[in-house]
Amino acid sequence: MMRLWCTQVLSIVRLEMKKTFFSRRGLWVYLLAFAPLLLFLGHSISVGHRREQLQQIAREHPISSEAFNSIQAGMTREEVTQKIGEPYSQWGGRNRHGEPREWHHSRYTDGTTELHLFFEDGKLRSVHRNPFEDPAQVSRIFAGVFQSYYLRLAVFFGCVGIFVNLFRGEMLDKSLHFYLLTPVRREVLLAGKYAAGLLATVVIFTSSTALQWLALLWQFDHATTAGFLSGGGWGQFASYLAVTALACVGYGSVFLAVGLLFRNPVVPTAAVLLWEGVNPFLPAALKKISMIYYLQSLCPVDAARDQEVPGLVHLLISPVQPAGKSVAVLSIMLLTFAVLAMAARLSRRMEINYSTE
Amino acid sequence: MSDDRIILDNVSRFYGEVLGVNRVTLSIPPGITSLVGPNGSGKTTLMNLLTGLVRPSRGRISVLGVDPSQPQRLFRFVGYSTQFDAFPKGLTGSQFIYSYLRLSGTSATECAKLTARAIEQVGLVEAADRKVAAYSKGMRQRIRLAQAIAHDPRVLILDEPLNGLDPLVRAETIALFKRYAEQGRHVVVSSHVLHEVDMISDQVVLMSGGYVVAEGRIRGVRSEIQAERPMQFLIRCKQPSLLASRAFEQDHVVEVRLLPEDGGVLVKTRDADGFCRALNHLALAGIDIEGVVPADDNVHSVYEYLIGTEEATK
Repeated sequence: MMRLWCTQVLSIVRLEMKKTFFSRRGLWVYLLAFAPLLLFLGHSISVGHRREQLQQIAREHPISSEAFNSIQAGMTREEVTQKIGEPYSQWGGRNRHGEPREWHHSRYTDGTTELHLFFEDGKLRSVHRNPFEDPAQVSRIFAGVFQSYYLRLAVFFGCVGIFVNLFRGEMLDKSLHFYLLTPVRREVLLAGKYAAGLLATVVIFTSSTALQWLALLWQFDHATTAGFLSGGGWGQFASYLAVTALACVGYGSVFLAVGLLFRNPVVPTAAVLLWEGVNPFLPAALKKISMIYYLQSLCPVDAARDQEVPGLVHLLISPVQPAGKSVAVLSIMLLTFAVLAMAARLSRRMEINYSTE
Repeated sequence: MSDDRIILDNVSRFYGEVLGVNRVTLSIPPGITSLVGPNGSGKTTLMNLLTGLVRPSRGRISVLGVDPSQPQRLFRFVGYSTQFDAFPKGLTGSQFIYSYLRLSGTSATECAKLTARAIEQVGLVEAADRKVAAYSKGMRQRIRLAQAIAHDPRVLILDEPLNGLDPLVRAETIALFKRYAEQGRHVVVSSHVLHEVDMISDQVVLMSGGYVVAEGRIRGVRSEIQAERPMQFLIRCKQPSLLASRAFEQDHVVEVRLLPEDGGVLVKTRDADGFCRALNHLALAGIDIEGVVPADDNVHSVYEYLIGTEEATK
């Protein structure tokens, strides 16, 4: 019997493949999935190009590390010029309001860090050292985008687009009855549709995750990239792929059930979105009845450590008391199983009544 | 429940407060059974109930001993061609049949064979590799029929299967139904085309407003209602006026009309057998009778009696 069910599930997946991967209705899912890739690719190209420019300047105007690090507030422009030479870029002016003051902004680089110096009336008022992006910093940028946008919006709405349509779309197209006129148990039909949706979302979203990761690392030379990957980078990479796949598993089950049970999926989808959105503000017990809590607990990098992360985003990407990894995986699987079991039970009562659609 | 009949036992189905069918009790034997009734009479609901596409609000259904809520058993031997004129996108005719056949777990080779045979049976061989979306209405009707018969079912349920077919294909399709019936299978057909129903049906189920108003063989149904509604005979003879006056002498004859055509007399009687005996006597007495035709021994007239003229013409 199990063999027959597996054959039937495979046949359903084959039938659904074209609809889940290539339907015009689902093109926006690709846009959601691959938008961060474009963003990261643009960032990588821009930062890489800038780094090359600065390294070229550093080669042409070398500055010793000792001199570079000795610059501090209170020095005069002459003292600074004496120590590290002329800046590669500078501009200045005079205050128009209040007490008239002359100011200057000068930029230097040693090939690894960019130095910003702000002079007022010839005195160095502030020093900013901006080290070039390193893989650790890039992985924090990725973590922030992954948790605040990719999981919460892209994968979420991608699963809405694909899983809701598995039943709802065919009900609207008036072609669902063909499935119901075959010798397939309703539970097997549900399993087949879920497998088809899962295959599509996992392929689309994990490939996007992998490409985003590659796009961000693209700015670094081979040695830096290899060093980062061997120093825990591969582990992070695998974790992100797993979290993406688990998000598809969890959200997929929820939206498959929504497509099966609701004529208008907008209201339940909005309710789930709201529930997942307010998760950081919920009491600990309620937090645990959501996918995002467990998904964030599985993310390998704490993006919230980044000082530049705004307060609200900080809340969205940082579970206060993350669940243990095995607890998180088990909880997602249990939630998924519970939702699918309920949907399977309800699928037995599913009827064809296109006239009311 | 019987293993060789389709049985509905006091079945009702309501859509909220709207009646689909009510208190339907039927026992359908093998052969061609036609469901006849106006739009909204409950024919499609009845077919959907038989195939589990909708569930009864009350009552029990058994198709050759199988409950329609078990599709994994039911559709091993049931084929249903619905009226829904929509198809999964992007499939050719043969891909459509093949893909859904594969769901039964049958091997790829066997499915390919069954697909080819079904397509041949409905005469769509040349169009088999074209997208269903490009088919005409008649071709879409035929591909649905092919899907219903592809697994060689013992029970074939067909909702308005002759709609949109040209006369030649219509005749071939009717021949297919008859072959199925001759093999002892069940063919349940719904139709509006009454003369075709008359031609192909072994039995009819007349429906109106969600109720079964009559069922059985056409003649049997006619006899049942004979007591309430007189039966009509059309007689052709050389002396119509004489025949009319003699016929009117019979106390069971309620109306006699001379028809404008030459030699035609229409007689309405409450006792068909008595009238036939009287006609024999008149023939022996010298009235030259050329022919006698029961004028309303068909579905149309039965339908007209039971459901009403206006609806019967739909």
